[in-house]
Amino acid sequence: MSADTATQSRLRSRRRRASASQSGVILALSVLAGVGLFPYLFMLLSSFKTNEQFYQNFWGLSLPLEFGNYAVAWQQVNPYLTTSLIVAAASTIGTIALGATSAYVLARYRFLGRNVLFAFVAVLMMIPNIASIIPLFVLVRDLGILNTYWVLIIPQVASGLVLAIILMKTFFEGVPQELFDAAKIDGASGPRLFRSILLPLSSPIIGTVALMTVISVWNDFFWPLLTISDDSLRTVPVGLSFFQGQNATEWGPLFAGYAISSIPLLLLFVFLSKWFLAGLQGGIAGVAK
Amino acid sequence: MTSKTMAPKSPTSEVDSGPPSPAAPAPRRRQRIVWWAYLVLAPSIGLLAFFGYYPGLSGFYYSFFDWRPAFESEFVGLENYRRMLSDDVWIQAFGNLGIIFVASVTLMWVLPLLAAELVTSLRSARLQFVFRTLLIVPLAFPGVVTVLLWGFIYDPNTGVLNELLSAVGLDGLRGNWLGDPGSALWALILVQFPWVASLPFLVFLTGLQNIPSEVFEAASVDGTNRWQRFVHIDLPLLFGQVRLLFFLAIVQVLQFGFSAYLLTGGGPDNSTMVPVIRALDMAFGASEWGYAAALSTTLFVLILVLSIAALFVRRSEKGNVDVG
Repeated sequence: MSADTATQSRLRSRRRRASASQSGVILALSVLAGVGLFPYLFMLLSSFKTNEQFYQNFWGLSLPLEFGNYAVAWQQVNPYLTTSLIVAAASTIGTIALGATSAYVLARYRFLGRNVLFAFVAVLMMIPNIASIIPLFVLVRDLGILNTYWVLIIPQVASGLVLAIILMKTFFEGVPQELFDAAKIDGASGPRLFRSILLPLSSPIIGTVALMTVISVWNDFFWPLLTISDDSLRTVPVGLSFFQGQNATEWGPLFAGYAISSIPLLLLFVFLSKWFLAGLQGGIAGVAK
Repeated sequence: MTSKTMAPKSPTSEVDSGPPSPAAPAPRRRQRIVWWAYLVLAPSIGLLAFFGYYPGLSGFYYSFFDWRPAFESEFVGLENYRRMLSDDVWIQAFGNLGIIFVASVTLMWVLPLLAAELVTSLRSARLQFVFRTLLIVPLAFPGVVTVLLWGFIYDPNTGVLNELLSAVGLDGLRGNWLGDPGSALWALILVQFPWVASLPFLVFLTGLQNIPSEVFEAASVDGTNRWQRFVHIDLPLLFGQVRLLFFLAIVQVLQFGFSAYLLTGGGPDNSTMVPVIRALDMAFGASEWGYAAALSTTLFVLILVLSIAALFVRRSEKGNVDVG
């Protein structure tokens, strides 16, 4: 009996200690998360301030909220967002169309030189974009496509295609052969197998590649900086870096512009969180293979 | 683009009307020549040859020339490489890169690892999810927004850091963080502090969450405390991931340049100069295309050699614990 109560009280005190340590963990995590999120919270607060409010009340929320900043910022950021959306959409379609068909053939058919062709693709994993950016610039200038959508889309597809093919090939190889055999008995042809069997099963990998492409377009900086000088064709990263110069003394619209430019990726993160993270980690998967 | 890739496949249904030969799983079946496979692959291979291989190879080729695009280029042998070895700015750029690299495999791992341990220590799955999400939300912002916000944090006049110092009565410590050669490199490294919204955090977290709970149960039966668990269980099991992250860090640090370009442009006094910015400066600023080609070829070879070295390390140590 007494031993029993002793055990119980020991258990209780251990539980109390455990819940105290849980609070400690929560506190520490809150600090880490707070520090990490601070710049973005500050951006949000300041985006609703006039310059006067900004200087008077640097840290806090100022009322009334100055929604006009967003109207001003929208005027300036709008073309950058449009360009980025067009480039992201076109690059995604291009990367998936070329990547999926190539990966299908490489994964499910045997033909002379299959391994050589796959190695031809995979070796490019080793060539970082930044190392060939200078000769690539000379190439597109010789092609006469500076300051066009093509210069933003085609190299993006070419560089995204490498990882897309590697990831999709791995995924397609994992699809059970029985599914294909069954469809072939029904007389389905190669393209038919691709459309009706493989594609419907492939939304996880297609989503990953799509998000990988969008994230990459939204973050690519040096390439659009070097190849685009026409302001209306600037993508978000480059546009914002110039936008900063224009608004050096108008803090509200500046931060509002940053906030507007962040919305598309944030929406993808909220609604497609799983693919978003898979897209971010795609690089790792490719390297680990 | 779509029509281009689909087009070569339509003749298939006529010529290759039977079932196409399947891949690996049935090697004993009679081989049918899947000639249309080459047609399907052609656009991708062509694109990669033209926009992937050709620029890399032409950069290598022209690194031996006084490259003047669109004009006659003169062959200069190894002159560009000789010049590189005595380029003090280039050498300093690698010195800066060394500091950035050391910081990125120590400082930038410690806090993410701590955060991952803390998240897995939470008993409530709901709270784990909430904190994981809050910690990685910064990843969902465009990189340029993050870097420009940090530029504002360091602003000498109205920046957050200086205002914070004034607010706590430390006016004397206010500084021009990005404009002072003594602090600029550290200011760049501290961008995105506490670095938890990062790939290392996601990798550590996945690694820890994939450790079977039986391992911890067995350990707690043996009376292992949290620190012992961290040292004797978590760290050894995370070793595979750490090796992978180390390799990624090498490749990424060699390409470091985005935040430096936006915030300091390599200055002041080259205190934040990095190889990427030097190469771009030489090409687009000084129009020394041949020299810039030599610099970027060198960068490429370094990355390639280190990648291959890392690949061999991974190969030879296969069979080790690899969680996730």
